[in-house]
Amino acid sequence: MKTYRSNIMLCGGTGCITTGSLKVRDALIAELEKRGLSDEVSVTLTGCNGYCAQGPLIEVHPEGIFYQKLTVADVPQVVEEHFIKGRPVEKLMYKDPALKSSVPAMKDIPFFSFQVLRALRNKGLIDPEKIDEYIARDGYMAAAKALTEMKSEDIISVMKDSGLRGRGGAGFSTGLKWEFCAKITGDVKYILCNGDEGDPGAFMDRAVMESDPHVVIEGMIIAGKAIGANKGYIYVRCEYPLAVKRLQKAIEQAKEYGLLGENILNSGYSLDLEVYLGAGAFVCGEETALMRSLEGKRGMPIPRPPFPVQKGLWGKPSVLNNVETFANVPQIILRGADWFKELGTEKSTGTKVFALSGSITNVGLIEIAMGIPLRTIVYDIGGGLPKGKKLKAVQLGGPSGGCVPAHLIDTPVTYEDIVKTGAIVGSGGMIVIDDSNCMVNVAKFFLEFTTEESCGKCTPCRVGTKVLKDLLYEITEGRGKEGDIELLLDLAADIGRSSLCGLGQTAPNPLITTIRYFRNEYEEHIHDKWCQTGVCKTLCTFVINKEKCKGCTLCAKKCPAKAISGEKKEPHSVDQSLCLKCRTCYEVCKFDAVSICPGKKIDKEEAAVCSEVVV
Amino acid sequence: MEGSILIVDDDPIVVKSCEYVLKPEGYEVKGVTKVKEAMGVLVNQNFDLIITDLKMPEIDGVKFISWLKEKNIPSGIIVMTGYPSQESIKDTLELGIVDYVTKPFSPSFLLDVVAKGIKFMMTRTTLLKGEVDASKSKAEELKKIIQTNKNKPGALIPILQKTQELIGYLPASVQRIIAKELRIPVSEVHAVVSFYSFFKMKPRGKHSIRLCLGTACYVKQATEILEKLKSHLKIEADGITEDRKFSLETVRCLGACGLAPVVVVDGDTYGAVDPVKADELLVNYE
Repeated sequence: MKTYRSNIMLCGGTGCITTGSLKVRDALIAELEKRGLSDEVSVTLTGCNGYCAQGPLIEVHPEGIFYQKLTVADVPQVVEEHFIKGRPVEKLMYKDPALKSSVPAMKDIPFFSFQVLRALRNKGLIDPEKIDEYIARDGYMAAAKALTEMKSEDIISVMKDSGLRGRGGAGFSTGLKWEFCAKITGDVKYILCNGDEGDPGAFMDRAVMESDPHVVIEGMIIAGKAIGANKGYIYVRCEYPLAVKRLQKAIEQAKEYGLLGENILNSGYSLDLEVYLGAGAFVCGEETALMRSLEGKRGMPIPRPPFPVQKGLWGKPSVLNNVETFANVPQIILRGADWFKELGTEKSTGTKVFALSGSITNVGLIEIAMGIPLRTIVYDIGGGLPKGKKLKAVQLGGPSGGCVPAHLIDTPVTYEDIVKTGAIVGSGGMIVIDDSNCMVNVAKFFLEFTTEESCGKCTPCRVGTKVLKDLLYEITEGRGKEGDIELLLDLAADIGRSSLCGLGQTAPNPLITTIRYFRNEYEEHIHDKWCQTGVCKTLCTFVINKEKCKGCTLCAKKCPAKAISGEKKEPHSVDQSLCLKCRTCYEVCKFDAVSICPGKKIDKEEAAVCSEVVV
Repeated sequence: MEGSILIVDDDPIVVKSCEYVLKPEGYEVKGVTKVKEAMGVLVNQNFDLIITDLKMPEIDGVKFISWLKEKNIPSGIIVMTGYPSQESIKDTLELGIVDYVTKPFSPSFLLDVVAKGIKFMMTRTTLLKGEVDASKSKAEELKKIIQTNKNKPGALIPILQKTQELIGYLPASVQRIIAKELRIPVSEVHAVVSFYSFFKMKPRGKHSIRLCLGTACYVKQATEILEKLKSHLKIEADGITEDRKFSLETVRCLGACGLAPVVVVDGDTYGAVDPVKADELLVNYE
């Protein structure tokens, strides 16, 4: 490999590409050429760096200096200052919000410093489309070890000992799953990878597949050897074209190098891998449904037993693991179970990748040691909520998970502690919800999702989720009745108990947790016809408090419906017949003069009284 | 109003009064009193709609409709009859008619039925034309896709994906071709097409707008963007504008949560979209 004086690692994740990293790359290459530095400085497009909020971003090696929010216009300055004069450009560095000083090195930025990279250890360090770069980072060493030095039982015993649990959501022991399958005799077995990341708000697997596709392949080789499978499929969402492209390329390269195909590394073991594109169905994240989809059918789950390890794809014993699970395997084999167990807790070992998004300053992809409190993730790594917003809850596990309320923010992130709150660790979607969100509406959102995605096979899920959704719709439209909450809970319990697969069994979770922690909001919606956040349009009225209004006219200027009137320096008022309830006035008012009152029609006098009561 | 109509009734008074009602509205109307005569006219002339009586001497309405179908005459058929017996209506419905009116009827009722019929035929003919054109020109390529994939296990989904890539959507005619080539029932193909959200049975607009409704976008008011775009384009979600310029789809998480709320127009991704100004995104594509 050619060596350079400096290497620019430019993030080519989906977020950065959207904000223009490809244009920055072209500009960098052109500028380096112009200044005659093409032989000294290389530009590499890496997979997702994770710090999506600050993109496009680069890290310059060997110094490890980090530049963020680059534009094409910044490029000449970076080249001139950094690469010719050797002076890092301070204005493009990360700024510490408290100290107002620049932080040059990536490792010192809080977003990165609290993270431990294992599954994502190659992110931003290698070009995902070059197998040599993966190999240079000890790639395929573990596969070689497993194929030449270890027997199937050895691999399984290391995996069991490591305590690695499935990262797809359910958290079942990976080693145990492999052992079940290995024990079943059969000439044809399948090793399958689940890359059908369907949870809205989750993009961990996408990042792994895009930034380090070979690690998935290596994990599958090891697993395939352990269970005795010679054929494997990687099932990827068709919405992830870049991941598909990189995986396909990686498979080609691995075949060329003799790391896939017949008689790998002369070990006598053969494995053929193929990428299979999903077609957009959330239920296909469920094991048995995914296998039906691979068979080219409707992705509907089937009852268990028999379990897929006994009768899976085309009726043959099959093991299905999530992308992130496979990404953890090579390092465990290489460094041993004890190394893996160093991090995490007794029952939740190792690290977990989360996609942090929603109402948070540092949106992005993070990997943390299990067991650290949610607070560290939200406030240290995530940098807290945007200015003026208050934490209300953290949603974990997508439509199968639940909301952890603000007062439980010190809960350690482990499988067992999160379950106690009613949520689940899930596949790793972590969405921060602020106080401008209505929790009844959040529950409705998830039920709309599960209703639509229910495959329709079993009645509790197909009909039950719809009934729940309709009840929530009634409540948010102001037609909630006494006893609705009890009815919702009762139904939710039945649906959870009687549904066929994980989708239905967990579908009521968002509802149950929001009722558990935000019952008052449900009650206000039902009894007072009042949505305090102003999200449910029929359940709120925006009123300006005459005492507090300074007549700054800001709200009148911003109001898209021109519903606010008033003289300068005089209290303003809202014309309710024009108001769209868009919340703009509430958001922009600097004096807290806008209050959200119950949704019935009120006259001016009542409004005045109401705004005082509220304030 | 635009549209051409052929009226067939053995009673000249009925023909005259229909002409009297429809002509002033701007329709092109031709009236005949014999089925034979109608058949002769149809050799040289196309009509959007044919309004026919059922009880007629020599050749009756049901036979006439069968003849129309046999000859593949694409006009929409409206039946008018003074004897609305279950039997005759059932027969004609089976033959495929657009609507029926029972005599006596008021002028406004006739106008209403005709207007609806014309509109129905207009949209149907444009759709059919598009379908046939698209699938004909690409039939060869489609065959190739099927041939190269048909022997792989689980071939149906990859074939459908590649076909949609080729044609843009999966109309019924194409589904039938695939079923035939794979030697499986059409119902099995349709079952898969209708199950997965990726497969579309309606054509997309020249510019396709995809709005993310994933959780991260949702908590950042993505539904407001949806409302704004719906009212701006005057279509529903998953709809297409009348001029076929824009189609609007909602999707479950594009995995670009860092940019929420996200709208993708064709290949261009727009992050942090302001609901109030969402329509301004489309200016570049008008």
